Amino acid sequence: MHPTTLPRHELAGLHVEVVESRNADLVGIAGDVVDETMQTLVVAGASGSKQVPKAAATFRFRLGGGEAQCASERASGRGPRAERVIVDGERLVARPARRTETTTPNKWR
Amino acid sequence: MAASIPEERVERLHDLAREAAREGADDRARSYVRRARRVAERHRLGLPTRFKRFTCDDCDAYLVPGRNARVRTQDGAVVVTCDCGTHARYPYD
Ligand SMILES: [Zn+2]
Repeated sequence: MHPTTLPRHELAGLHVEVVESRNADLVGIAGDVVDETMQTLVVAGASGSKQVPKAAATFRFRLGGGEAQCASERASGRGPRAERVIVDGERLVARPARRTETTTPNKWR
Repeated sequence: MAASIPEERVERLHDLAREAAREGADDRARSYVRRARRVAERHRLGLPTRFKRFTCDDCDAYLVPGRNARVRTQDGAVVVTCDCGTHARYPYD
């Protein structure tokens, strides 16, 4: 996985933090993504699971090392180092399996 | 050549499902398994053999032998029985 491919990749298992939102209650929610729906991410943090609307938030994902690496990267040992990737939640609004299919930059880019 | 994004995604969902199943989060594992199947289907990819052997065709559970699956040999084949009752038979490799 790479910062540029993240919006098309599997998000479950990544650490994420809400860094910006119109809804102040959402800002600061942090933890591991455990599941995803078309409109929301389910984030398991210290205080239980929270369902965060994708469209209303800007997310910072942590990439690199261990879980964030793909099998091919683990095998080659050439995966990215730990990196933070900031993504506008609007870009993630899509059915979970569907996100991978977009080959051209989508309209939210 | 590096694996494509859908291929990588299926691999990753497999790892996530196995981890969730081992922790006893069966429903979460099931949702990862279903998503992996869906991604593969949409991109016309086959699923890795490992994935096929450790998931239930019927209920999409991720199978952990001894925990939610029984593994027996019978008449020259490996028979895996999911907790839901579905059998799957595989030849010896
Ligand atoms: Zn089953």
